[in-house]
Amino acid sequence: MDELDPVIHAQARLRIMAALSTLGADGSISFPRLQELLDMTAGNLSTHLRKLEDAAYVDITKAHKGRTPITYLGLSKKGRRAFEDYMETLRTVLGDPK
Amino acid sequence: MDDSRSHDRPTDAAAADQADDALDPAAMYALLQNQQRSVQAQMGDFVPLISGAWGVAWLLGFGSLWLIDGVEGFSLPVPIAVTVFVAALVLAGGLSAWLGFRTGRGMRGNTGAAFTGIVFGNLWWVGSAAIGILGSGLRAQGMTEQLANFYYPCAYVLFAGIMYIVAGAIWRTVSSVIAGLWLVIVAAVASLFPYPQHYLFLALAAGIGFLALSLTSALRLRRIRRAAAGGDRRG
Repeated sequence: MDELDPVIHAQARLRIMAALSTLGADGSISFPRLQELLDMTAGNLSTHLRKLEDAAYVDITKAHKGRTPITYLGLSKKGRRAFEDYMETLRTVLGDPK
Repeated sequence: MDDSRSHDRPTDAAAADQADDALDPAAMYALLQNQQRSVQAQMGDFVPLISGAWGVAWLLGFGSLWLIDGVEGFSLPVPIAVTVFVAALVLAGGLSAWLGFRTGRGMRGNTGAAFTGIVFGNLWWVGSAAIGILGSGLRAQGMTEQLANFYYPCAYVLFAGIMYIVAGAIWRTVSSVIAGLWLVIVAAVASLFPYPQHYLFLALAAGIGFLALSLTSALRLRRIRRAAAGGDRRG
């Protein structure tokens, strides 16, 4: 049986990766907006993002809007590839090659 | 993350541990698809509102222009008709801009996407201004008021239709291409009607067309939301 990437294979991190995958290539989203779209607590989201960041699946950039710091998040190239591989493996496991 | 000021709360830690669990592959696949659908629904929830607002704006706006000379024994004063027309379009335009801004908050595209957005956004007022200036030029060259009554509405609706088609092509939204094609056809056909029936045709065809688009996009969103909520395990 194909092995599913353990970094992605957790409910919260899969939801984060799935949400980020809907952004265009090189697109990113602010932390509060992602939190709103996922309906997750800031702490929970932060914890799982750190694990994805450690695996270099997520690019995190800091910006400023006026004096307010904003954290933007997006899938890295490695993360996008890992997510596509994860989906492919899931489909294979489920016997659905599409 | 800087934005998470309370990431070490015990309740969050417990929730994070729980969310660390994996379900069976089929459930994980459904979770993945439902999450993508949920984002898609949340990002698209403005479409029915915008198309509905434009449907009402076309109906009221062109309807009021038709009422100037369209009904025997009744004439809506021109200043009132023009005010209703302008107000309807400004309100629909303002609502579209606000909803577009609200939906795009917190999002950052790459440089290419930002360039496309800026060019497309500014093309609306550049094109509208050009149509207005061209109309003034044609009037100065001898275009009659009768012809101007056809030129302005048909040119603006034609331009709006082309912009919808371009938007659909850029952002790959079929509904936008269909709405744009409909407006292009409506603008062209409207010029074949006599005055002031062409206003009535524009009001009904463009207005009802956009209200129909609003209804179908609302139904589509409802279907996506249901699927996102887990109504469809495999998608």
